[in-house]
Amino acid sequence: MDEASVRADLRAYITRELIRDEGYGLKDDEGIISGGLMDSFALAELGVYVEQAFGVYIPDPDLTVAKMDTLNQIVARVLRG
Amino acid sequence: MTLDLRAVLIITAAALVYAALLPARWRGWALFLGSAAAIYLLQPPLAIRFSDFLLPTATLVLATGLWWATRAPGQTFTREDGLALLLLAGVILALSLMRFVDAPYRLTPSRPPDPLMLAAGLLVVGLVLAGGWQVARRLLPAKGLLALLIVLLVAVFIIWKADALAVAVSAAWRGATGQDMSLASMSDLNWLGFSYVAFRLIHLLRDRMSGLLPALTLREHITYVIFFPSFIAGPIDRAERFADDLRALPALAGLDAPRWIEAATRITAGLVKKFVIADGLAQGMALNSVNAAQTDSPLWLWLLLYGYALRLFFDFSGYTDIAIGLGLLFGVRLPENFNRPYLKTSITAFWQSWHITLSNWARFYVFSPLSRWLLMRQPRPSPALIVLTTQTATMLVIGLWHGVTLNFVIWGVWHGLALFVHKQWSDRTRAWYRRLNETPRRKHLWTAATWFVTFHYVVLGWVWFALPDAGQAARVLLRLFGL
Repeated sequence: MDEASVRADLRAYITRELIRDEGYGLKDDEGIISGGLMDSFALAELGVYVEQAFGVYIPDPDLTVAKMDTLNQIVARVLRG
Repeated sequence: MTLDLRAVLIITAAALVYAALLPARWRGWALFLGSAAAIYLLQPPLAIRFSDFLLPTATLVLATGLWWATRAPGQTFTREDGLALLLLAGVILALSLMRFVDAPYRLTPSRPPDPLMLAAGLLVVGLVLAGGWQVARRLLPAKGLLALLIVLLVAVFIIWKADALAVAVSAAWRGATGQDMSLASMSDLNWLGFSYVAFRLIHLLRDRMSGLLPALTLREHITYVIFFPSFIAGPIDRAERFADDLRALPALAGLDAPRWIEAATRITAGLVKKFVIADGLAQGMALNSVNAAQTDSPLWLWLLLYGYALRLFFDFSGYTDIAIGLGLLFGVRLPENFNRPYLKTSITAFWQSWHITLSNWARFYVFSPLSRWLLMRQPRPSPALIVLTTQTATMLVIGLWHGVTLNFVIWGVWHGLALFVHKQWSDRTRAWYRRLNETPRRKHLWTAATWFVTFHYVVLGWVWFALPDAGQAARVLLRLFGL
């Protein structure tokens, strides 16, 4: 898994499925939940997607706004495995 | 004994000794032994013979057994763990010597059992648990065994919290001690701190299953489970965060002014909130089953309900302030539990700011795993059905945690449905809401309206909380609207 492809994949998934606005220009350090683009309930969906797409299981206590609010944080967590 | 002014003064004096005189490397041990002793001193007296000594002992046995079960792969039993186990047994047996002390000078709530019988009992229980563990680990895979322990813990929790089951246990226990079984009641089983201990232990078991839990020594594990400032009413900290604080204790400056000032401010604020404001409101200005039965006027009922809502907040958040302040005195920064919950403008935001550590626990161990399980199913249920199921289940767990009664079921569903409705609403209005920022005046009006609706929905929900009888609660809800 290289960082660029993980980032591109997650950006596409988040804007398409969670923000539901494919044209949205999501920035790397933009607060996705704190900025009101999606709600914290979508974190469970994100957890399932990461597990299915990258084979990385993120434990439930890591699926929090504090730890998964920006694309940078999410990509780093996925790459950590 | 509870965390009242006298207890706070005693603990503060102990904190001064701890900070000024105790060698820094002993601080962790002091919190471990102090917490083990404190859970006996804080336990209220109970009617069944020796039960107010045996229940705190059961807490320590349970916590010790589950440390063994949740050790990290490859983690060995070290000399330090052996010392912690010996000291823990020493605390229990030393406190049982209170049996020979006259009642006015006794630190335990009542006369403890015979120390020799107690030592023999502890040995037998230890051997039975060790034998049971050896058998169980041959029959079950590691994760299956941890899951079974969670189920057993939940079963004990339900027995203790469900009226009929608790009375049956009380009657059986009274029978065993030769006491009058007809007097059996739920109050016989007032196992102080068990609700919080059980949820901390489930967190430890579940996080060991997912590999998230760091290796903890027996001393760290026990101190986390029974840390005395948060033992009675939380907050429910997370073990890895708590362990970081414990490990930093030897390097902590003993009497640093900013920490002591912060602690003193929190404790003072907490004492005023809990013992002045909340207890003041409780003197006839907060809804209860007696004044609800005596009041016909909807206006008075509303005032009593507002009074109850404020009393509940000031009582619980005041208690949390005291707990956080006391934790700070000893160098442990417990997590916050409240963040202006009554000023929030949605039910979702309310539950992110009321009893935050319990909400987080429920999110991690109920909502999130259940959501993931439903999302993984083929065919996948509709998003609305997933949200409805998970929100209601989560709030039901939070409701039942307070007590296994019809009222708490209704209260849980009350909030679960509101969270579901709010999620549907916010999904459909997110773009419109972002545009609202462009017209500040409309946004202010909208904020005021959503605050009003949220606050009153929460306040009306407290009727189920304040009145233990569901029929009376339903009648009061109707009377509030003149029906």
